[in-house]
Amino acid sequence: MNENASGLDKTIEVVLMLGLAASALLLVLGLSLGRSSLLQAGVLLLMLTPVGRVVVVTLGLFHQGDKLFGFVSLGILLILISSGIVALRL
Amino acid sequence: MLPSATMLILTGAATGLVGSLLGLGGGVFLVPLLSLGLGVPIRTAIAASLISVIATASASATVSLGRGLVNMRLGLALEVATSIGGLAGGLAASLLTHQQLFVTFGVTLAVMGVIMAARSRKRNVIHDPDADTGLLGGRLVEGERTYTYRVKRLRVGLAASLIAGAISGLLGVGGGIIKVPVLSTFCGIPIRVAAATSTFMIGVTAAASSFIYFSRGDVALPLTAAIALGALPGSLAGAQLSERVETRSLKILMAVVLLVVGTRMGLEGL
Repeated sequence: MNENASGLDKTIEVVLMLGLAASALLLVLGLSLGRSSLLQAGVLLLMLTPVGRVVVVTLGLFHQGDKLFGFVSLGILLILISSGIVALRL
Repeated sequence: MLPSATMLILTGAATGLVGSLLGLGGGVFLVPLLSLGLGVPIRTAIAASLISVIATASASATVSLGRGLVNMRLGLALEVATSIGGLAGGLAASLLTHQQLFVTFGVTLAVMGVIMAARSRKRNVIHDPDADTGLLGGRLVEGERTYTYRVKRLRVGLAASLIAGAISGLLGVGGGIIKVPVLSTFCGIPIRVAAATSTFMIGVTAAASSFIYFSRGDVALPLTAAIALGALPGSLAGAQLSERVETRSLKILMAVVLLVVGTRMGLEGL
């Protein structure tokens, strides 16, 4: 593992925590107020949190000059985007 | 009648705790609990489980990243296979009968449990902290000692990840229950690293198929929201507790879980 991994690890932690916290807030509000639009936003944000993590990892690896694994991560991002496109067409 | 919000939050918390403790997403317990225990329709249970697995895996990944247990390079290499599998599994979910899926999955889990129990004493570490890790290997710090491990049989790990991803999409589980035993038993990865790296991948795997379920209208919003809200604190607590459990106990616990859940799932399909 390279020396900058811990810096990237911390950024990933922050992205995951922010996504989870914002999503939890929307879900709590949605359940308390009985608003399905808030529940939908909370669930969607939860589903997009791992996608945000992949974006951060991809950018972080390219920034560190780790092109091989940067492209691997970019490939994962493309698979997730394909999944979103397939879902929209169902 | 659907269960109350309190019951769903508690269910999410319990499955999140156990799932996170074992390095799984928790879906392998949640789907049977919701469908068999609480009478939730199976397709709704699978969709709710996928969303809950994202919450559990993401929350426990924050803890294991902080401890330096995640092997990110290995995780990324295997994540390609799990996300392709997740997408394919999500699309194929409507093609197979649930009975066929339950029997196949049940047998697979039971076999994994036996292998895991038989190899619970084996350690995948090299005691020289300066040994070469190879491209995907790494180092593990336990107390004052640093161990080195190398990744063996990457193709087996990739194949298991593809299958795990497909099963995640089909049955709403994260797939950790397949990846962790395979990575630990066949690929030379210490179980704590295998569990942490698997958890790191599970959120992405579940996300790949969750879009399909969401788009099909299978996500019941209040039910899913309540379970995911319970899963968040449950999985954080499980991730904290996992550090206090010794490696061999973790392997034996995992073997018992595989056998029990495998038998239950197999019987459900007969």
